[in-house]
Amino acid sequence: MSLVNFTTREITCKIVYYGPGRSGKTSNLHYIYGRVPESRRGRMVSLATQTDRTLFFDFLPLDLGVISGFTTRFQLYTVPGQAYYNSTRKLVLQGTDGVVFVADSQARRQDDNIESLQNLQHNLLQQGVDIRQFPVVMQYNKQDLPQDLILTTDEMDDMLNFRGFRSFGADALRGIGVFESLKAASEQVLKRLAAGSSVA
Amino acid sequence: MRAIESWVTGPLQTFVNESAARLTLLMTGSGQVIAQHGFARSLDVMSAAALGAGIMASSQEIAHLIGWPEFQVLVHQGSRHSHFLALVDVPAGRWIGLVVFGRETKLGVVRYFFDRMIDELATAAPRTPPPRKVLAADFETELHRSLRTLFGR
Repeated sequence: MSLVNFTTREITCKIVYYGPGRSGKTSNLHYIYGRVPESRRGRMVSLATQTDRTLFFDFLPLDLGVISGFTTRFQLYTVPGQAYYNSTRKLVLQGTDGVVFVADSQARRQDDNIESLQNLQHNLLQQGVDIRQFPVVMQYNKQDLPQDLILTTDEMDDMLNFRGFRSFGADALRGIGVFESLKAASEQVLKRLAAGSSVA
Repeated sequence: MRAIESWVTGPLQTFVNESAARLTLLMTGSGQVIAQHGFARSLDVMSAAALGAGIMASSQEIAHLIGWPEFQVLVHQGSRHSHFLALVDVPAGRWIGLVVFGRETKLGVVRYFFDRMIDELATAAPRTPPPRKVLAADFETELHRSLRTLFGR
């Protein structure tokens, strides 16, 4: 849940990158970390295994600057994608203000995408959050792979996006779609805050 | 010292003075910083809060797995510094305290004054909810400008 300090006029929001294992959640944060000026970001924390798979979470604090007179900060988290890490996913999801769902565009990964999306909906519901009324952005990553291996963004929408969330094709390693996804999620989170529905 | 809510400052200041703690953070269960003492860079504070909340949350899950109600306090002892994590129940909800302390004080002293701080926070907490309207309707222009600056495009 967003934290708002009316005395020092500061807002802090939490966005979680969710999705199946190896879909590119950590790559999103690495790209953001590499592009944002040092003065506007904190240290990126990664709790990963020896083979660089996310074990608990990655964490990147961003300073967006002053918005409506409030110094606005976003905390970006990723979750571990593998199915057996659901307990840690639930912990990271606590108090989130918005989600970027990073799906793998490869045709052979569609079952994993669907399972992860269902898992997101279930875990949010356990925290009393209805995904239909929550800021979610769909990102279809790995659109740079050969066309015979992947689904197009329209096909991905048909497969996953029956709720009509905003969606973006992406190549997270090269940054395509990364900025757009974060921007869309930020907008939705702050719109919700402006409507006064999620103030701590 | 910085605090999101001004009523937190008094009890936190008293705790810091009495316990001789080097660093102290109060945060929500999701790792959002409520108050801090002794952290120089605000963004490093966020990392510490995220990690502290993660430790506490995963420990609570372990407690549930083994059939215990919860761990109220966790202590990690180091050779020069130790850290102390504890649940803090206030009228606004459940927070977490993270305290780093050195050899100049003792765990018992930290814990004693931490418990006193919790009592003082419960007394000092306001009973009225915070104002709900935050951002102006036209905040999106400023958001887009900030994101363009952030990403250089």
